Amino acid sequence: MSTRRMSYFEAAARARAAGLVDAGSLVEFCPPERRRTSPHLARLDAPVAFDDGLLAARATLGGHPVLLAAQEGKFNGGAVGEVHGAKICGLLRRAWAERPAAVLLLVDSGGVRLHEANAGLIAISEIMRGVLAVQAAGVPVLALVGGSCGAFGGMGIVTRLCDAVIMSEEGRLGLSGPEVIETVKGVGEFDARDRSLVWRVTGGKLRRALGEATALVEDDVAAFRAAALDCLQQARRASADLAALQAAQAALEARHANYPAARDGLEIWRAMGLADAERLPMLDAQEFNRRLAALDTERVQ
Amino acid sequence: MNFPAFPAQAWDGRLRNRAQRIQRAAPLASGRQVAPERIVALLEAVLEPGDRLCIEGNNQKQADFLARALVQTDPARVRDLHLVQSVLALPEHVDVIERGQVSRIDFSFSGPQAGRLARLVENGKITIGAIHTYLELFARYFVDLTPQVALVAAQAADREGNLYTGANTEDTPAIVEATAFKGGIVIAQVNEIVDRLPRVDIPADWVDFTVAAPTPHYIEPLFTRDPALISETQVLTAMIAIKGLYAEYGIRRLNHGIGFDTAAIELLLPTYAADLGLKGKICTHWALNPHPTLIPAIEAGFVQSVHSFGSEVGMERYVSARPDVFFIGADGNMRSNRAFCQAAGHYACDLFIGSTLQIDLDGNSSTATRGRIAGFGGAPNMGADARGRRHASPAWLRAGREARAGKAMPRGQKLVAQIVETFREHMEPAFVERLDAWDLAESAGMDLPPVMIYGDDLTHIITEEGIAHLLLCRTADEREQAIRGVAGYTPVGMGRDRRAVENLRDRGIIRRPEDLGIDPRLATRDLLAARNIKELVHCSGGLYDPPKKFRNW
Repeated sequence: MSTRRMSYFEAAARARAAGLVDAGSLVEFCPPERRRTSPHLARLDAPVAFDDGLLAARATLGGHPVLLAAQEGKFNGGAVGEVHGAKICGLLRRAWAERPAAVLLLVDSGGVRLHEANAGLIAISEIMRGVLAVQAAGVPVLALVGGSCGAFGGMGIVTRLCDAVIMSEEGRLGLSGPEVIETVKGVGEFDARDRSLVWRVTGGKLRRALGEATALVEDDVAAFRAAALDCLQQARRASADLAALQAAQAALEARHANYPAARDGLEIWRAMGLADAERLPMLDAQEFNRRLAALDTERVQ
Repeated sequence: MNFPAFPAQAWDGRLRNRAQRIQRAAPLASGRQVAPERIVALLEAVLEPGDRLCIEGNNQKQADFLARALVQTDPARVRDLHLVQSVLALPEHVDVIERGQVSRIDFSFSGPQAGRLARLVENGKITIGAIHTYLELFARYFVDLTPQVALVAAQAADREGNLYTGANTEDTPAIVEATAFKGGIVIAQVNEIVDRLPRVDIPADWVDFTVAAPTPHYIEPLFTRDPALISETQVLTAMIAIKGLYAEYGIRRLNHGIGFDTAAIELLLPTYAADLGLKGKICTHWALNPHPTLIPAIEAGFVQSVHSFGSEVGMERYVSARPDVFFIGADGNMRSNRAFCQAAGHYACDLFIGSTLQIDLDGNSSTATRGRIAGFGGAPNMGADARGRRHASPAWLRAGREARAGKAMPRGQKLVAQIVETFREHMEPAFVERLDAWDLAESAGMDLPPVMIYGDDLTHIITEEGIAHLLLCRTADEREQAIRGVAGYTPVGMGRDRRAVENLRDRGIIRRPEDLGIDPRLATRDLLAARNIKELVHCSGGLYDPPKKFRNW
């Protein structure tokens, strides 16, 4: 079909993973037929999934061996439970031992699964430790964020540990999700039902402009693949030495100083000097990236 | 000639009554203009007990300010009204009944207020004259339900009282013409009073009073369907409709319902239908509101003409920029007209396709459910064979040939299709032995069960199981098996006679997706020309400006 293209946002975890890597190269660990389901959900009489909402696999990307984990946002919002988390940790251990060209985390998660909160929290900390260990072993870890649940809570932190973060505008990244902020701080602080505001604050375009996402791509599995391949070829690794950490800290302080009272992505775009801030959400990724790049060039000069 | 001697009588009772009303109201107005704070008093002065009153409103624009004012009138003065209007949509429409000011209603549709209305009928608080179609009610405005007073809504008025109704002209011309030319009083709420109107939609001498409402009249974006919510089953049924019905009959002139099922068809035209080589061969002329989901088909050059019942919020700029397609005035803005578009849908279209809640074994379909008196608006006129039609078209002739095989006098027939999933929300089967409409008729004391589309008008049913060509059935029994044959795993579907259904399939009366060369596995959302509202905006070149609730940017 001439007009067919696969939306990353809408695709299920398996379809995303299969479309991302080299055709036919995906081999799954602990596949659904092993039925590693959540004991906690079963005890609560809640529905379980045979893969606990996570696909862990080996594959090749542009011929390079990679390991990947893909969260299924349609199962419990991609939330991290005990089995789900253990599968990611196991994958990271394997990466530490095997040293593939990269680890890909296809994040689509609201954070820890509340039904199994303690196990989920422990899992998140183990995943964070695993990511750092893999990176220390010289293997880049890439986060891809473009699903309907975004990357929030513990998975938001994990995403920011990664060497590169590839996002679409539809993908969202943050610590507390919009509903959580509204529940805790009130609708005056953040109106989670104002979808437009939610995306202007947590969506891929603001995250890219702030430098938290390293690449902004269209909502298209092929575009995510191209960006991941690009990361692999550049093999850029975020350094974790003292100088790099200090630079990151300085950047955060500068950001806080530059936009002390900003409550909306629009204000930040305006403050950055991006023309026509209201129209930015309508631009495709390529045009947005072009304008952002032009801005950086101006700054350098 | 010798006439018998008739007693002398006056012939201008209506005009004198009208003059009295105007006289009572005059002190409250400044010429034709009424200040918003005096509108309640003006209504009390103009209205008389027993009046037939029309509060303009459809499922789109609403004379909401005037409806709110009516609820504030003194029930001792304003009483015993007979509401004759398209919809009971606003809470105020029902409030005024609850306040005991209304004794009778004749209407077409009551969607959001259907539950309250049913309770009022059950408690004997109100008598329903009849539930009409839109066209039928407009027709009665000119026969026996002419309003004494009409409260209408317009975009703007000028100082003389000319009205500009713009893209949302809708029902206003029909209401005003009936009222003004039979001694009635027309009161218009407008969003603004200006020196010069873009154009005159209703001339000033048909309008008695204008009032600038403090807030613009409300318009519901009823025809906006977010493509993000279209299911893959709906993509499949859309593929079946395009290949098994539109391409098969070469349907060029048509009307669509407002559901997601038909939105999916609109979004498949520039992709799936174009790949089948159908551009220019199907779906060229429409009686349809400016559906945002039609934008990709228009941009792809599929669509040559669209006439509309009303407009759609956010589509104004896009529509104005496509004057070859839509009906645009010299001022550059669209004019809709519900009465004409209903007539167009009934007489000039070869196909109506829409959705329903229930279909019975005779093919009767209805959206009526117990405890809700809702009506069907325009659907029965769209979804009925036009018995008065005399002009031919290939699709109409073929449908007539198929439906009337063996009969001596050749005739055409309109194609009327229902497109449903076998199970709708909450796993309720769409196919039933007995429509809920029977229970509703009983509990509400109606003359007839409220049927939206009668089985003898229905020519096709499309479900994810395939398409049933009911017009090819020769006996009632065949027809029942054809319906059961596409009813899937519903009790009605499970009750089918397998051999009979296989026989119907061999004869091409039932066609499964595979019979049509459609692989259900290829029915994915990636086929939609736009998968969300934002892509519709992109497709429109930024001209479509969707309401906030549909935006996530």
